[in-house]
Amino acid sequence: MTYSHKILLALGLIFCIASVKSQNLLVEAESFENPGGWVVDPQFVEQMGSPYLMAHGMGEKVKNATTKVSFDKAGEYHTWVRTMNWAPGDWEAPGRFKLKVAGEVLEKTLGQRSGWGWEYVGLAKIDKAKKVPLELMDLTGFNGRCDAIYFSTNQEEPPASPKKLAEWRKTVKSETNGPEETKTYDLVVVGGGLAGCAASIAAAEQGLKVALIHDRPLLGGNASSEIRVHTEGIYGNFERILKMLDTEHYPNGHVDAEIDQEKRDNNVKSYDNIDLFLNWRAYDAKAENNTIKYVDARQTATGERKRFTAPYFVDSTGDGWIGFWSGAEFSYGRESADTYGETWEEHGELWSPKVPDNAVMGSSVLWGSKEMESPQEFPGVPWAMPVAKDYSKVKGEWQWEFSRNDLSQIEDAEEIRDHMLRAIYGSFSNAKKEPENANRKLEWVSYLVGKRESRRLVGDHIFTFKDAVNEIKFPDAVVVEKRAIDVHYQTILEDEKNPDFISEALFYRGIQYYIPYRSLYSKNINNLFMAGRNFSCSHIGLGGPRVMRTTGQMGAAVGFAASLCKKYDVNPRDIYKGYLPEYLELIEEQKYRKIPESKK
Amino acid sequence: MKLVKAFLFMLVVCMGHAQFPLPVPTLNGVQEGIMNRPPEFFTMGWEKGLQLGTRETGMFIEVDSIGQQNIALLVDREQHPVLYTSEIETPVCADGECKLMHIRLYWTLLGDYAGFDRYPQQPLTKHDHDEFVQADYLKLHLLLLDDKSIFRQRKIEELVKKPSPSDHGDVDALSGATIAEVKESVVSGALYSCYVAWHLVHGEIAGKLKEHTLGLLDKELILRMLHNEDPDYQMFALEKLAKEEYIDHLERIATIFKSSIPLVRSYIIKNLPEEFWNIRANQIPFWDAFSNIDINSRSLLLEHLEEAPESSIVEVSNKLGSMTKNQLRLFLDFLAERNNEPEILENLKVFANKGNEICAYLVLQFLEDYKQ
Repeated sequence: MTYSHKILLALGLIFCIASVKSQNLLVEAESFENPGGWVVDPQFVEQMGSPYLMAHGMGEKVKNATTKVSFDKAGEYHTWVRTMNWAPGDWEAPGRFKLKVAGEVLEKTLGQRSGWGWEYVGLAKIDKAKKVPLELMDLTGFNGRCDAIYFSTNQEEPPASPKKLAEWRKTVKSETNGPEETKTYDLVVVGGGLAGCAASIAAAEQGLKVALIHDRPLLGGNASSEIRVHTEGIYGNFERILKMLDTEHYPNGHVDAEIDQEKRDNNVKSYDNIDLFLNWRAYDAKAENNTIKYVDARQTATGERKRFTAPYFVDSTGDGWIGFWSGAEFSYGRESADTYGETWEEHGELWSPKVPDNAVMGSSVLWGSKEMESPQEFPGVPWAMPVAKDYSKVKGEWQWEFSRNDLSQIEDAEEIRDHMLRAIYGSFSNAKKEPENANRKLEWVSYLVGKRESRRLVGDHIFTFKDAVNEIKFPDAVVVEKRAIDVHYQTILEDEKNPDFISEALFYRGIQYYIPYRSLYSKNINNLFMAGRNFSCSHIGLGGPRVMRTTGQMGAAVGFAASLCKKYDVNPRDIYKGYLPEYLELIEEQKYRKIPESKK
Repeated sequence: MKLVKAFLFMLVVCMGHAQFPLPVPTLNGVQEGIMNRPPEFFTMGWEKGLQLGTRETGMFIEVDSIGQQNIALLVDREQHPVLYTSEIETPVCADGECKLMHIRLYWTLLGDYAGFDRYPQQPLTKHDHDEFVQADYLKLHLLLLDDKSIFRQRKIEELVKKPSPSDHGDVDALSGATIAEVKESVVSGALYSCYVAWHLVHGEIAGKLKEHTLGLLDKELILRMLHNEDPDYQMFALEKLAKEEYIDHLERIATIFKSSIPLVRSYIIKNLPEEFWNIRANQIPFWDAFSNIDINSRSLLLEHLEEAPESSIVEVSNKLGSMTKNQLRLFLDFLAERNNEPEILENLKVFANKGNEICAYLVLQFLEDYKQ
């Protein structure tokens, strides 16, 4: 796409409604032509309604985001900004910012209201209607956020409730019900973590035309240089594919993740028959007669929409969104120890509870700091201290993890991320009080939630702890793993004086276990595969295979299965029932295919 | 919690005794010893006047080249089991040089680490032959308290950085530096001693001790554990009691609910029998603790709003500030479906109009929509 096309596209996002009574203009912040130091955050669209811009400066003000918009008419406009104070309390809001319109800074300081909603900025005077410059001016460097700016000659505030807001947005943007453009593939893979990448490569190598839809600019999910968890587990039969995608065993959060990022992105992009849709986030999937007809996705900055149709779909979104939207059965939380016989007496309730509950493993936000040559200032963060308390650290590894039974890892992910940001900034602030840390500076803090567990879609087989302990070699075993089963819990459960954002791991070491193909397709949605943490398993069953070489194996296994589905025009379950020997042979062959020099 | 208790205990010990005397004679010899004071490093409570005698168990720990180290059960005057103990003598070897480590270990009745005594005449030593100082013993104690230490997962060879051959020739790997991951938690210069001690405490013997206790288990011992302050004992007792027996011990269970750790609290709420929830008066002490308990337990309690006594609902409506956003939503959803007493609505109004309550807007929205 040329630069001028991009500009046109961006301008196309500025939606005007001209009516007899009023002049209105909605500007989506994520569509700003130049986001400056602000980042586009699309993680919580399903909850708060839209991608948004965030000033993630780790305590240093970020560069202004700028754009130009055109009004139908000059005049005075009531102006609102949709924003949120992400750590409200008896202190100044951490993420404050201002709005500059047509060269004039509006007086109102924004980012101060509890919960997402509209803050009234005041009257903006627009002398010339065309190419009016807008700027978001960060005041703190601490994650101020702006979803949208609304100008109206009418003083009526836009709707607040998520449902009404969604309808209002559609009206303002004159959006049709569905995307206008439809693209058709052999296989649509949603989610570009290791599982989704491996599924795409495996299917593409077998000649399928694949769409890989991913809501970030970089592939890899938790392994990406944006989250930086190293990959664990073994390669199984898929060393050739997974070596194109995995990471070295550097400490979690290490900058070397960027080297593996380049390798991964280049490798996936090298396949001509993978159409890569980076920065596209799926927002709907429609099934008829238990068969998915399409997935709809939206570009996270421009808002452009596309419909993807295919005979087969892979849900590697992690949160199981495609399954959720299409009506697939799923589970969330911990089963009772008796449900699948998952008791481990040594760890009792921490491992598997007597009575089921909705506790799950938590999400991590990794971070680190570095020594500089001269003393470094770090601002006061009173809003972080109720979370961090007196905890003092200069970096965070996997133990920085948060889960609580009143929070859903899906619906409350923004609160979870924000809780971790408070933990990080507060703990670093405490560490900075030590003379030995005078020269320390925050080097990198992720703003993406690194999830471990969320929805688990239900397949023909639910993989459990027992399957692993008994090392059952299923007839359709397609994934093999030797790494320990590793289930986390929050240490605050054992001692209320512990920080609530630190976890502990319980390890069960076996020799080797297998995952059957039947855990990789949906029980009730006929053409849906799943790979990654949303595969079919129990809470404890997830403890082992949630690591990324294992999820990568799942992806590859699913990609090869899809190729046979296409060959015989059958559904995923039919591969198990009628084509298993051929499928297993195909997977076995993978062991012996060399990695081409160009893909190393 | 154990770590904190241990630390406080050690502060007292450090202030009171420069050298703590050996509390009992050796067990491997004549077993006439009476123990009337807690081990020097100890995690459990010690009742005033408690006096422990020893009873043989027939169990032992096998130590390379030394042989069997017997394990005794320590019992009080009424012959109730209290602790397990063993006098350990074991070689600790590094770089081909071995020294004897002499230490007396204690376990709880569940096979968890309870503490240790050192022998002033036979102090523990480090790799460079320096003797442990008091702070080193305390560090060892804190390490032994961590039953999920990285030591469980790793071989000793994995805990040291191998020196590069070009720097050190063919030096034994053990003389390499301790890896950063464990450095903070082990006694400096005594990785091997720490590793050996940890595996003695948390090795196979832990499970065998618990098994031994199961053989002694009767209702009296279960109730003694229920009335103990140790959360592991409380949890064990709660697991062993039949659900219907909870009603017989409700007073104690309510006390534990207020004072114990979140894990135990949550277990209690999840396992209280239906019979308990059917009698509203039973619930009052639990709802009274609402604003003082941890968030997870509070969420579980809120699942029982339908069965709660009205007085507790009123009380909870006066504690909205202690709820998380989602808890408050759940509570308001509950109120939305019923006719509420004026006192409840008044409490909501007061909360909604407080300037500094983060979630006041939720209550405000509720009051706008709510029609009596």
